[in-house]
Amino acid sequence: MTLSVEALAVVVVIATGVATVAPIVLLTLFIRDWKRGRLW
Amino acid sequence: MTLAEDAAILPAGIAWGLLLGFGVLWVLLGWYLGRNNRTAVDHMLAGRNVGLALATATAMATWVTANTTMTAPQLALQLGVWGMFGYSLGALGLILFAPMARRIRELMPNGFTSGDFIRLRFGTFTWRVFLVVSLIYAFGWLVSLAMAGGVLINALAGIDYRVGMTVILTVCVLYTLLGGLRAVIGTDFVQTIIIILGVSFIAWLTIDRVGFEAIHFNLLEERPELLNLLFPAAIMFLFNNLLFGVGEIFHSNVWWSRAFAFGRQVGFRAYLLAGLLWLPIPIVAGFVALATPALGINVPVADMVGPLVAAEILGLTGAIVVFIVVFAALASSLDSLLAATSDLVTRDLYRGHFRPQASQQQLYRATKIIVVLLGLLTWLAASYRGELPIIGSLAAVLYFTGAFVASAIWPVVAGLYWRRTNPAGAAWSMILGSGLGLFSYFAIGFYVAALVGAAVSLAVLLLFTWAAPRDFDWGRLAEVDPDGDDGNARGRDPMDTAPVYPTAASRTPDPHNPGCGPLPNGGAR
Repeated sequence: MTLSVEALAVVVVIATGVATVAPIVLLTLFIRDWKRGRLW
Repeated sequence: MTLAEDAAILPAGIAWGLLLGFGVLWVLLGWYLGRNNRTAVDHMLAGRNVGLALATATAMATWVTANTTMTAPQLALQLGVWGMFGYSLGALGLILFAPMARRIRELMPNGFTSGDFIRLRFGTFTWRVFLVVSLIYAFGWLVSLAMAGGVLINALAGIDYRVGMTVILTVCVLYTLLGGLRAVIGTDFVQTIIIILGVSFIAWLTIDRVGFEAIHFNLLEERPELLNLLFPAAIMFLFNNLLFGVGEIFHSNVWWSRAFAFGRQVGFRAYLLAGLLWLPIPIVAGFVALATPALGINVPVADMVGPLVAAEILGLTGAIVVFIVVFAALASSLDSLLAATSDLVTRDLYRGHFRPQASQQQLYRATKIIVVLLGLLTWLAASYRGELPIIGSLAAVLYFTGAFVASAIWPVVAGLYWRRTNPAGAAWSMILGSGLGLFSYFAIGFYVAALVGAAVSLAVLLLFTWAAPRDFDWGRLAEVDPDGDDGNARGRDPMDTAPVYPTAASRTPDPHNPGCGPLPNGGAR
C-alpha cells in the first residue's frame, strides 16, 4: 500500500503550514500576555 | 568519530562566530531575566505565574530536541513516511499531560517537584525508588544531549567533539545558573521561534525547488519502501516511540516543574497548544529527507541527512540555518533538564535527605551549586563517550533509560487519579518494571525495554492494588508550604500514623504553619 503523491503533498503542506503559523500564534499570545501584564 | 574539517558543511570560522554570538545572547538574556531572583522559589519556579505564551513556548522548545531536528529526517530516510509520522506522535505525550498538569496544580498548589508528589502520595520508600528512576533518566538524557551537541557541531562544522560539547554545556550551565527557570523559559521562547522558522523555511524551499512530483517519482524508483504504509518495522517504531515519549513526559520533573510554575489556569491550555503546535514539526523536519533521491544526494551517515539536504538546496545559507536551529534545539532542552534536575536534587536529595532544616537562602545557594556540579558530571560522562560500556552512542544512552521511564508511567497516572492505589505496589512496579525492562534490553534488544518495563509495571501495580487497596485523602497533597518549608521533607508513609523519619518540625507542629505537623489520623483530613 503506497502513499500517493497527492496524500504526501496534502500532509506535508498542512504540517508545514501549521508550523509556519506557530510562531505567529506564539508572538500574538506573547503580545496579549504582555499587554495584560500576564507574561510572568 | 571526529570528522575532517573538509567534510563539514559549514566553515569552522562561521560556526565559531555563531556559537559565540548566540552563546553570549543566551547568557545575557538569562542574566537579565533572572536579575530579580531572590529566593529558591524565584529561581526554581519563576514565580509560579508563567503566562500562556511563555508556557506554551517552553513546553514546545523543551520537547524539540536535537533528536527532533536531526533524527526526524534520519527516521524518514530509514523508515519512510511512518518514520516522520511516528516521531510526530511524540506530541501525544504533551497533549495527554495537559489534563494532568491541571490536576497537579489543583492538588498541589504549592508543590515543587515530581518527588514532592510521590513522597506525599506514596511515602518514603516509593519516593526513594522514584528518585533513583528519575535521576537515572535525567542524567541519561543530559549526557545524551551533551553528546549530541558535540557530535552535531563536529559533523556540521568540523569542530572537535569535546570542544563543541564543552562550549554548548558551558553556555547552558551559565544562563541556567544566572537566571534559573525564568532564564530557561525566556530563552526557550526565542529558541522556539528560531527552530520553527528554520525548519519551516527549509521545508518550503524543498517543496519549491524539488516539488512533490519529483520527490514521489524518485522515491518510487529508488526507495519504494519509504512510501509503503504497511512497513512493519516502521509501525513497530511508531508504538515504541509513543510509549517512550509518554513515559518521559509523565514522570520527569522537567514537565512537573513547569506544571507548578505555570499560572493556575494556564497549564492545561499551554500543554495542549504546545502538543498541537509540536505535532507537525517532525513531519516538516523529516520530509526533507525524502528529497534525497530526487536531489541525487549521497548520504554517508543517516543522521546527517537533514543538514545535507539543506546545504544542497541553500548552500552556505542552508548550513547556517541548520546550525542555528540545532544549537537552539540543543540549548532549549539542555537548560530545561539542568534546571529541573537541579531542583529535584536540591529539594528531594539535599533537603529531603541531608538538610531538612535548610533555609531558603541555603536552598537558593544549593540549587546554584548543584547546577554547576550537574554540568561537570555531564561533561565528564560525555567526555568518555565510547569508552564506557553504556555511554556508546546517543541511541544507546536514550534507549537504556527506556525501561526506567516506562516503568514510572503507571505509578504516576494511578497516583494522580486512582485513590485506592497501593503505595508499595507503586514502588515495586517501578523496581520490577525497570529490572525486567533492563533484562530485556540486554537479553532481547533495545526496542523492547520500554514495552516490557511498562507492561510489568502495570501488572505489578494492578496486582498489589487488587490484593490490598489503600485509601488516600487527596488533601494530603496540598501540604507543601508555598515557601518550600513544609517541615516534613523526608516524608512519611501516607498510611502511617507517624513520620517515618520525624524531623524537629514534624514532631512539634509549627503554630505558624499548622499543616506541617503529623496528623492524628495519619494524614486523612
